[in-house]
Amino acid sequence: MSDWEIWLVIALLTLATFIARSGFWLVGHHISLPKRVQEALRYAPACALAAIIVPDLLLTNGQVEVGLQNPRLLAGLLATAFFLVRRNMLQTIFFGMAVFTYIRLGL
Amino acid sequence: MLATLDYFQISIANGILTDSGVAGLFSKVCQLCFKGKWVHVVFINLLTNSASQASFLFPSYNDALSRSIYTLMSFESDKAAFKEGLRVGAPTWFGVGAWGLVVGIAMIKVGLTLPQALGMTLFVFAGSAQLASLPLIAVHAPVWVIFATALVVNLRFLIFSAILAPHFSHLPWRTRAWLGFLTGDISVGLFMQRYPEFAEEKGKLAYLKALVFPNWAAWQIGSIIGILLGSQVPTSWGLGFAGTLAILCIMLPLIINRAAFAGVVVSGICALLTVNFPYKLGLLLAVLLGMGTAMMLEEYLDGKKEPATDKNQEEQS
Repeated sequence: MSDWEIWLVIALLTLATFIARSGFWLVGHHISLPKRVQEALRYAPACALAAIIVPDLLLTNGQVEVGLQNPRLLAGLLATAFFLVRRNMLQTIFFGMAVFTYIRLGL
Repeated sequence: MLATLDYFQISIANGILTDSGVAGLFSKVCQLCFKGKWVHVVFINLLTNSASQASFLFPSYNDALSRSIYTLMSFESDKAAFKEGLRVGAPTWFGVGAWGLVVGIAMIKVGLTLPQALGMTLFVFAGSAQLASLPLIAVHAPVWVIFATALVVNLRFLIFSAILAPHFSHLPWRTRAWLGFLTGDISVGLFMQRYPEFAEEKGKLAYLKALVFPNWAAWQIGSIIGILLGSQVPTSWGLGFAGTLAILCIMLPLIINRAAFAGVVVSGICALLTVNFPYKLGLLLAVLLGMGTAMMLEEYLDGKKEPATDKNQEEQS
């Protein structure tokens, strides 16, 4: 991406944060969300994040690699288990990176 | 009753500390709702009284609205409120800074220049949206797809701000605009702990400011250290993977029920299958299908509320 495109992205991300965080502060008392929209709000963030990381974990050079020899997948799975037990984000990141590095270096 | 309140407060505080912020509040709130009954009541009070818009989260507990068991002394002065806000927020500063560090490193690793990365952290100020945008920037996705993705990832703030905004509706719109912008996950959580119900009270604004300002500073300091550090670390170390792991840690607590789990699975598989679609449109398609699946499944499960059936399905999944 060219320099100006990145800055455009930064401007739009700022706008996206502003809409989500300040929107209700500015016009909240004038609108009430329909039930359908409220339901969608609950599930959308998790779906979006899954759509971002699943290809990241499973694709190696454009090829799907589901075996445990895929270091990202294995590290991701172990990090998931770790997080579910410890419920700590930073520890999970350190743990996942340790597993990933361990496999990557072929230790 | 006192013991219950303590438990509630400790749980919320733990959640915010251990999940280091992003979505921590949301996750803990949801977890709490599956624990003790009193906690239910306290929290539903919190939600429904503060903002009726938010009551949809736990629709079946609306009847708990009438029971109010949570009161706190109000502050004598703004100064006292500010001090107390600092005291309550201090334990979270380190976690916020560290989370900023991870995002800072990830921004550099995806190839942003120093001014771009600094600009992003100073202007955008939303870790999960920033992290979500990075892989898209890396593959040159169209700008509007990145924008849409960031909006979707930020949707949880709509819920949070709906809870918080009524407290400050008397302020001028400019103040509301920047105050809302600076109020992230942790600040919402800590503020709601102190002011679970809407009330005209002294010191509310000072209290929120004492939560928001140090939070902003801790985030920026961590982020900038990450940006400076990131450029010193060789790409071969694969530090960008830390960003993926961070998103994973945000996503997992958002899987609040079976419907959400199904949505995540469908969305993930769909994203994988459509990864070669032009303009990264597969991503948006995946989100829509995942959301649709989750909503349909929720309707279906709501339709048959027999506990025995529920249990069977849980075992199968």
